[in-house]
Amino acid sequence: MSDWLSRHRWEAVLLVVLVVTIIGNAALSPFYLGFGNFINLFWLSIEKIIVVVAMAFVIINGEIDLSVASVMGFSAAVMASMQVSGDIPFLLAVVFGILAGALAGLVQGLLIARIGLPSLVVTLAGLIGFRGAARVILEDRSIGDFPEWFDRLGQQPLLGPIPLALIIFFAILAVAWVVLERGSFGRKVYIIGNSADVARYSGIGVSGVKLRLFIVSGLTAGLAGVLFAARLGSVRGSLAEFFELDIITMVLLGGVSIFGGSGTMFGVVLAVFTVLNIRNGLGLANVDGIMQTGVVGLLLLGSVLVPNLIERRRTRLPAPEP
Amino acid sequence: MRKRMRLAALLAAVALVAAACGSAAEDTTTTTTTTEQDTTTTSAGVEVGGPVVIEAAESISALFLPKCTNIPVFPQANSGAEEAAAELGSDPASFVGPADCGDSTGQIEFMANAVTQGVGAIMVSNNAGDELAPSAQAAADAGIPVVSWDSPIPSAEGESVFVAQVDFDDTGVVMADMALEILGAGGGEFAILSATPEAANQNAWIAAMESALVEDDKYADLVLVDTVFGNDVAEDSVTQALALADQYPNLGLIMAPTTVGIVAAAQAMTQEGLCDQVKVSGLGLPDEMREYSLSGCAPVFALWDFVDLGYLTYYVAYGIATGQIEAAEGVVFEAGRMGMYTITADPTRDSGLRVLMGPFTVYTVDNIGG
Repeated sequence: MSDWLSRHRWEAVLLVVLVVTIIGNAALSPFYLGFGNFINLFWLSIEKIIVVVAMAFVIINGEIDLSVASVMGFSAAVMASMQVSGDIPFLLAVVFGILAGALAGLVQGLLIARIGLPSLVVTLAGLIGFRGAARVILEDRSIGDFPEWFDRLGQQPLLGPIPLALIIFFAILAVAWVVLERGSFGRKVYIIGNSADVARYSGIGVSGVKLRLFIVSGLTAGLAGVLFAARLGSVRGSLAEFFELDIITMVLLGGVSIFGGSGTMFGVVLAVFTVLNIRNGLGLANVDGIMQTGVVGLLLLGSVLVPNLIERRRTRLPAPEP
Repeated sequence: MRKRMRLAALLAAVALVAAACGSAAEDTTTTTTTTEQDTTTTSAGVEVGGPVVIEAAESISALFLPKCTNIPVFPQANSGAEEAAAELGSDPASFVGPADCGDSTGQIEFMANAVTQGVGAIMVSNNAGDELAPSAQAAADAGIPVVSWDSPIPSAEGESVFVAQVDFDDTGVVMADMALEILGAGGGEFAILSATPEAANQNAWIAAMESALVEDDKYADLVLVDTVFGNDVAEDSVTQALALADQYPNLGLIMAPTTVGIVAAAQAMTQEGLCDQVKVSGLGLPDEMREYSLSGCAPVFALWDFVDLGYLTYYVAYGIATGQIEAAEGVVFEAGRMGMYTITADPTRDSGLRVLMGPFTVYTVDNIGG
């Protein structure tokens, strides 16, 4: 136990914050503790947290993907424009929408992994470019009138009270957890994140791993974009705009180092639960949007500050006896 | 079922009170009956008795959801809602919303939380298009009336009734007339600086203005060269206004159908010394526009009273939530100090109901004060 604690200091801190949040919320709002609210709390941010899982891999690998929210919009726009043209069955439009996300990831991944451009620059261009593409495809229109089954999947529960998107999230999470922390691919992701040179000398196919990560990141964003379109019932060029900020915030809050090489899926999950519960609790306590954003911002600042302070205190020499 | 019976009984009681008071009842041909059987038919029919005076019943909890909280018109509207709540002996509605008007889907979370809280009514100024419709439908499914104000849900899905500040078609004509007044009979080029590209109300007004321009020959020489979006954020709107002045050397007017855009445009033109060439008009708050009205930069603009809009909206939502009125075509009611209103079909949308507040106030240097 103490061994676990020393290796998972940040996860322990998050766990405490989460428990305090849950107790605080329950005390503040009589509506908080309820299965319906628990489902709702995930559902309201489900597209973001699906992307969070993929983003954790990218950041642990020492890279960043700023384009995810724009890719969400792009994928949804591709799907919606195919629905308008009406030449193909809608299910195929959905598939093409998701694949458009993977393609966006592939293009960026090639530039990063094969040509060696920094992911910060490439995906910043992606953030601007794919958003632009979404706006060009849809102009200022809003496209709705999707088939009823699509809207129902996005807006109604599927299994008992649980909607499809939640099932997808937990399925992706389970697979991601195993791949990252139990498989050889996950080990490579960590090693590359620690030092790409060391990885290269150890015979790891660095660029192959990176390319695959960006394809998966795009694919996940594409899926999330299509799911968001189903939940909203219509698509615009601005769909999911600025979501990348919340997504990266949750990954970093989960204890994943922005420099790569460290972080756990458990930490990321705890961060997701914490942020969603805080937002939900504040919302149910009728706290304004400005304050909600402020609290999450403070939390992120704390997540960077506290570990640094602890580290500094530990490494400081003991004060001499008077 | 029990809820419906209670509602029927309440309706009957209210009808009795209304009939007894007989205040300003014009239409006495329809008789109000008190038997349970008869009142239940009102839920299907339009033949509701004389006007219903909405008055204090039980206290309700409610959500007064603006597009965002940091634009002055929304707190103003909320103060009107608070005034109405106080008169009706109800708790003030909670006034919360997204931090930023650029966040067009941020209202969904607030709607969902209100449903979880089981509020009595939701009053919303829609900052998206039909993206908010599933949330409104979820609220309606939970038995919560959703009254939109300022900006409706285009499909009207899940919405009980829309409290419209002014007739949206009139808005188009008013804007076209102001453009004509500023540019003169000789005409000229003008551009529109709007809020977000999603905003249902601004989009409807712009569409109405565009159709007004083609319908009447007197506007024939007014040339709309561009429509840009400042997202109801001051800095973005200033940038867009300056870009318009840069891009169109013959521009004579920036028309901003948003209180954020019009101030930003007036400020930008004033700072750049462009007021002689490019005038500013649109929908603006007198307090924020006084300076530019007096300087001649914004010689004419229009708006309605947001306090009144909030007040009327709360009365409508409270009336529906307490079962005093029904969201149905032909229902006539009295809303406190503002008097009589009728719920009608909304002529500016394919479906949906509307309560029309009106009227416009057109501000010039003669009535701006100061």
